[in-house]
Amino acid sequence: MDVQAEVPNAVPPVGEHKGDKVPQPIEFPHDIHADKNGINCMYCHTYARRSKVAGIPPTSKCMGCHTVIATDKPRIKQLTEYWEKHEPPQWNKVHDVPDFVHFTHEKHLRRFIFDNEGMDVSRASEVCAFCHGDIKKMTVANKVKPLNMGFCVRCHEKNGGPSDCWKCHK
Amino acid sequence: MSLKNLLGDWSKYRKGHEEGGFHKYEHMWGLAIDLNKCIGCNACSVACYAENNLAVVGKDKMLSNQGMHWLRIERYWDEPQLGGDDRDFQERGASFLPMMCQQCNAATCEPVCPVAATYHTPDGLNAQVYNRCIGSRYCSNNCPYRLRYFNFYSYYESSWPAPLHMQLNPDLSVRDKGVMEKCTFCVQRIRTAKDTARAENRKVIDGEFNTACAQSCPTKAITFGDMLNPDSAVSKKWKAQQVELGKAEQHKANRDLRGYRVLEGLNTDPKVLYLERVREV
Repeated sequence: MDVQAEVPNAVPPVGEHKGDKVPQPIEFPHDIHADKNGINCMYCHTYARRSKVAGIPPTSKCMGCHTVIATDKPRIKQLTEYWEKHEPPQWNKVHDVPDFVHFTHEKHLRRFIFDNEGMDVSRASEVCAFCHGDIKKMTVANKVKPLNMGFCVRCHEKNGGPSDCWKCHK
Repeated sequence: MSLKNLLGDWSKYRKGHEEGGFHKYEHMWGLAIDLNKCIGCNACSVACYAENNLAVVGKDKMLSNQGMHWLRIERYWDEPQLGGDDRDFQERGASFLPMMCQQCNAATCEPVCPVAATYHTPDGLNAQVYNRCIGSRYCSNNCPYRLRYFNFYSYYESSWPAPLHMQLNPDLSVRDKGVMEKCTFCVQRIRTAKDTARAENRKVIDGEFNTACAQSCPTKAITFGDMLNPDSAVSKKWKAQQVELGKAEQHKANRDLRGYRVLEGLNTDPKVLYLERVREV
């Protein structure tokens, strides 16, 4: 399921990985949100464009829509319960790089989306798919890319990223 | 040392800093430490522990040379037979010398690393990639300043008694045992400053950020900055004292000028300048 996104001025990294299913407190359907309703990844993962981490949206962001949309669905009822108890769902990390890796979402989005001529921000999910796989088609996010050093370095070589060790290692 | 240097012209690498050939960096971070201002309070050392997730090893391990203090204050007393009784210097007491990695331009630790875990970055820093290091300790044996520290034990986040683990710096890993570590000129701060500058489409401003030691120094004895920027405070200090990089020995006609680098004669070309008049006793 290696997706070759057609992003201008970019060579997508190659490599596949069969990650285990990571159980989540609520099975968040990425496909309904990002694919069917066409919500941009950065609408919920707000911090991706300006910081190291992409960020998990606060429950308030979910409730922004789900006080009116699909309130009768069992998962939304579960979510509302969390919201009323003032307890955020304890999401489990799927894409986790080791402690000694310095990775910034901001720089990569800048390179492939914002500073990339001919690239439309509405197509951000194709860039996200470089490393996260085609999350648009997934229900619960699953790790489908290896995210190891070879994976990163091969992409850096092809796209002219830095090869200085201290750029990524800390 | 990178593979490029290893396979390239060896003597050019070893002697290149004298001709300035290896100074064509984007930045070159350097320090100037005014020893007349240093009161030996150890604030810099403590700040370094806090900033860089350094493990406090305890007295026993410290005594067996297993401490991991990236910055140490060396203390010297003038001995009477060496002129310590000199009337001019009687009130001087101890002399202090903060010693951190000297970030040599011709670092002796780099060519001996068998796995190229230590190398020179485009910022002119002497880098150490912890997860590449195999712990051969050649670098430590080749460092004339003894400023590389070997991690003998595993210190994890749980090694800090709660709630102290909350103060660990997330921009830096907690190193595992069996690797060499050393002062990095707070590379995580450099990285953040450069990222911010890049996001705002400008250059890094001098004094915008500091190393932890320079920031915490109560007497402002430590100056940190970009040596390639002629307007930075640190390069002004080097210039004012007529100390030049790429020189094995500084000859000064004016006796009022201060400034020396430790073990200059070894031609390691350190980027840490100590401001103190070299006096013969």
